[in-house]
Amino acid sequence: MLKKSVALTISLTVMLATTLVAVADTAPEDAKVYRTSVMTTLRGHVGAASMHVRGLVDDNGFLTAHAAGLANGARELRYLFPAGSDVDESEALPVIWEQPEEFQKAIDSAQKATAAFSEAVAGGDKAAIGAAFRDVGAACRGCHDRFRLDTD
Amino acid sequence: MTGSGSTLTSLLSVSSLAAAWLLFGTPALQADEELVERGKYLIHAGGCVTCHTAEEDDAVPFAGGRAMESPFGTFYVPNITPDRQTGIGDWSDEAFVRAFWDGVNPSDEDYFPAFPFTSYTGVARDDLLAMKAYLFSLEPVAKANREHDLPFMMSSRRGAGAWKSRYFRAGRFEPDPGQSDEWNRGAYLVRHLGHCGECHTPRSRLGAIRDTHELRGNPDGPGDEKAPNITSDPDDGIGRWTLKDIEYFLDIGMLPDGDFTGGTMSAVIEDNTSQLTSEDRLAIATYLKTVE
Repeated sequence: MLKKSVALTISLTVMLATTLVAVADTAPEDAKVYRTSVMTTLRGHVGAASMHVRGLVDDNGFLTAHAAGLANGARELRYLFPAGSDVDESEALPVIWEQPEEFQKAIDSAQKATAAFSEAVAGGDKAAIGAAFRDVGAACRGCHDRFRLDTD
Repeated sequence: MTGSGSTLTSLLSVSSLAAAWLLFGTPALQADEELVERGKYLIHAGGCVTCHTAEEDDAVPFAGGRAMESPFGTFYVPNITPDRQTGIGDWSDEAFVRAFWDGVNPSDEDYFPAFPFTSYTGVARDDLLAMKAYLFSLEPVAKANREHDLPFMMSSRRGAGAWKSRYFRAGRFEPDPGQSDEWNRGAYLVRHLGHCGECHTPRSRLGAIRDTHELRGNPDGPGDEKAPNITSDPDDGIGRWTLKDIEYFLDIGMLPDGDFTGGTMSAVIEDNTSQLTSEDRLAIATYLKTVE
């Protein structure tokens, strides 16, 4: 029994250490590429969800998937901006790292809005879905207003 | 019997009238309310609240104080609430209209073109008076205006006069009979009330809008932002966007690829275009699709 516990502890320690090393070793360039990939995914879900919300395409049950994709992506946002990852013409503005509490608030509101949108989609009420999607848009814009370089 | 019957009828008529008065108000009051409501809509279409409200989260709308930085100095946007001392509470209808049409204040002094009279000059008188009625229905706010912070050569309003005599042409919007009503409505909103060109059309070195380059983008847009090309050019502009794409962008700020705008345009979406009817947003889109 003791042997088993020791073995388990060692295994867990090794796993944890490996994970930490992996995170610590993430190159800033890779962090930036990964962030861009997740953001592109989010953009895809938003674009697709908007077509459903506006009634321009048949749902076929997939709005749920896009809403879930958005909510999941938003939950990941907090991990996408490690210090030093504003490399290679990154659109992430320095204010992200200069005012981390403000940035966290913006991320929180995106997470809240996308979770609410996902719930509204599950509820099925069209007006509620439309209103919740509008809130998602406001959260996205709110963050882009202050924390993203305007490249339009 | 007949007498009491007619008395009863009269009483009923009087009480019906009273009930109607209570329910609907006098025709004059109702007309005033409609005018104020129409003015509110037009004030949103004119984007007034964005500039005339200070940056602070708890700033009172229309009470001014926002700093507008420009290559010619910093302008502090004035209070346009109906306060008699610090706002526009003393302005006559004529003074209000002349500010927009001719770019002068009630003392006949020239405005700097930071106030976009260059676009507003095309706005119809009826619309302006509705906008004034709405502003005058608001609570007056006593908040003194701050002097603009301009370099010496710009500090005199004579400079503004010289600029105007060279670059400004007053004139109302003339509908194009060869175009649809929708197109003309869009043209009116884009060119005049919505004053889109003030940011999206490039300017000359002296700050004059280059009319021959309407909406082709401005590298020196507001707040150090680049205002994009919104002509129908398929590569540099929004020529690949559908009418619905443009309408939806103006409603919630989403680009066709799912991205969301930020910065100054986000405020325009919030305060101006999202407040318009879908028909007006489509009219704007209809016009934009024809700008080359």
